[in-house]
Amino acid sequence: MPSQPAEIVHELREACMSCSLQELCLPRGLYGRDLERLDALVERQGPFHEGDHLYRIGDKFGAIYAVRAGSYKSYTVDSEGREHVLGFHLPGELLGLDAIYPGHHVCNALALDTATVCVLPYAQLSSLASQISGLFTQIMRLMSKDISDTATLAGDYTAEERLAAFLVGLSERFRLRGYSPNEFNLAMSRRDIANYLRLATETVSRVFARFEKDGLITVDRRDVRLLKLPQLHTLCEAMGNP
Amino acid sequence: MQANSAISAIGFDPYLVRRYDVAGPRYTSYPTARQFGSAVDTAVYQYAVKRSNEDFIPSALSLYMHLPFCKSPCFYCGCSRLITSRPERIAAYLQRLYSEIHLQGSHFDRDRPVRQLHLGGGTPTYLSDQQLADLFNILRKAFTLEERALREFSIEADPRGLTPQRLQILANFGFNRISYGFQDFDPQVQEAINRVQDAQQCLELIGAARAAGFCSVSADLIYGLPKQTEAGFTATLEAVAGARPDRVAVYGYAHLPQYFKAQQHIHNIELPNADLRLRLLQRAVEVLSGHGYEYLGMDHFALPDDELVQARTNGTLQRNFQGYSTHAGLDLVGLGMTAISHVGDVYAQNAKTLDCYYAALDSGHLPIERGYVMSADDCVRADVIGRLMCYEELPFDPIERRHNIVFLEYFARELVALQPLEADRLVRVETDRLLVLPRGRFLRRALAMVFDAYLPREKTAHTYSRVV
Repeated sequence: MPSQPAEIVHELREACMSCSLQELCLPRGLYGRDLERLDALVERQGPFHEGDHLYRIGDKFGAIYAVRAGSYKSYTVDSEGREHVLGFHLPGELLGLDAIYPGHHVCNALALDTATVCVLPYAQLSSLASQISGLFTQIMRLMSKDISDTATLAGDYTAEERLAAFLVGLSERFRLRGYSPNEFNLAMSRRDIANYLRLATETVSRVFARFEKDGLITVDRRDVRLLKLPQLHTLCEAMGNP
Repeated sequence: MQANSAISAIGFDPYLVRRYDVAGPRYTSYPTARQFGSAVDTAVYQYAVKRSNEDFIPSALSLYMHLPFCKSPCFYCGCSRLITSRPERIAAYLQRLYSEIHLQGSHFDRDRPVRQLHLGGGTPTYLSDQQLADLFNILRKAFTLEERALREFSIEADPRGLTPQRLQILANFGFNRISYGFQDFDPQVQEAINRVQDAQQCLELIGAARAAGFCSVSADLIYGLPKQTEAGFTATLEAVAGARPDRVAVYGYAHLPQYFKAQQHIHNIELPNADLRLRLLQRAVEVLSGHGYEYLGMDHFALPDDELVQARTNGTLQRNFQGYSTHAGLDLVGLGMTAISHVGDVYAQNAKTLDCYYAALDSGHLPIERGYVMSADDCVRADVIGRLMCYEELPFDPIERRHNIVFLEYFARELVALQPLEADRLVRVETDRLLVLPRGRFLRRALAMVFDAYLPREKTAHTYSRVV
């Protein structure tokens, strides 16, 4: 069962049309009537609170979600009860793509802070996509990006390379959203980062401390300031473009 | 020696000091403990600890342990303490302290080592060797202790009955800093405060601590005590300075007999008047700076190569409940009756009575009774006040970046309130920083008070000790 939101936010009748994340999200490349038709499909839900699940493993699949505000963590739990973090989702990024094939959700989506999402009922979305080629193209692009992002971590890379790539990747994602690429506050814990990068929690902190000592970054709780972004890029070159 | 030039370098101006001699907090925390209330309980504290574990580089830890027992009462004392000569009372307390250590340790990630540790009281040296051994065993099991070379483990010591052998035992446990309560060597004063101790024996303990391996020895003195005279205190100062402890703390006696029963033995008429108090402090500044001690702020003097002075040079000096400390940014864990913890934005204070402390731990939970959750505004002011209490310069940029404010706008009202202090040349406001001028170094508290958001509402000014 999809979890019930605290309240349903029916803002302006416009959703996509006045959204600052248009270029990153599904509406990219759509105009006029096409954009209106997508807009009519979208329903915003929220605010959800830190710790609220958007969906859980096994929930019947009915809609794709786009993060509107806040951030999410997607994760599975193995047979021994251990959590495996699959990814972090920032505003403009989609959740639920991996549920299309099986017809039910195969991971849990958890709000890491106060969050709002846009709900895109799948049947209507795919019907619209078959009529609007721009929408179809954008959905394909976003799915492809999802696949290539996941592949990056599969290789045999050092802890330094992994964390550098993580920070560089976040920097780019923030930059695309109009935020500073050099200073950001992250909602995930060190434990989540470690899990995602397949490192021990202590190792993540050691590498953060090492980067700080070497003058590459400064860290204050979960605030990170990148002082030498080019050097971080160099560090994770071997991993290809993160 | 060159007392006069030293005085002008330090900027001690008795007329100014007198003018700004208003009651105020000591700013070992901001907000001060007076703001603590029931919003913080064990659950709130535990959540704060959990969150602090999730920082990308979680801080190392600073532990404070309160051992409230003393054999006999010193009349000036305003600390939380219990007079007893019964060992079973101490054993009963320690039993609960051990379970508290175990409980607290279970909440912190093990890659957060205990870098700083302070045993205060009461009389920490009241503990037997066996009790100290047990204490360290429990600590080692519950927490990760920092490697020896990086540790700052300190203990408050009553010099009476302390031997070089005992000092060696303390050093073997891992203590590498010690502070001695000397107060005043004048026998008249000692009698009036019920703290009679042999000056010679005291002074020898300074060298003995060093010989045992302590790398920092502090002598604690108090001015403003009953029957104190300028000549007597000067003699004490000269004797102490001559023995060259690394640090000298010169505390002003706070006469609050309505709060501290033992102080009722001290009669107002025996206390130095405001003039004499000022002269006693002035003598301390003259004698100590004449012997090469640097003034850190508030009550502390230290030799130039002492780590506190070096911390100030490196920008890592800060203030916490023990006074000045070399480690900025460690989360503080308070253990024992009345002890205060500070983790993330949460202050949490333990039960203030033995009964409540015991009851909580006997039912298996932390004895946290009150505290405070810092707001965003509290965090900004804490940064500003912390900086003013320790340094000569307060650059705006780090504060602006950290808290997302424009200093001159955010503190527009405070800057107006600073104008009289500027006119008196205690401080100078520049476009990108505040400068604490030499004349302001003895009046840091007055500067800090300008930024204290809770002060205007305080009606009971007499509950704070005087600035001097």
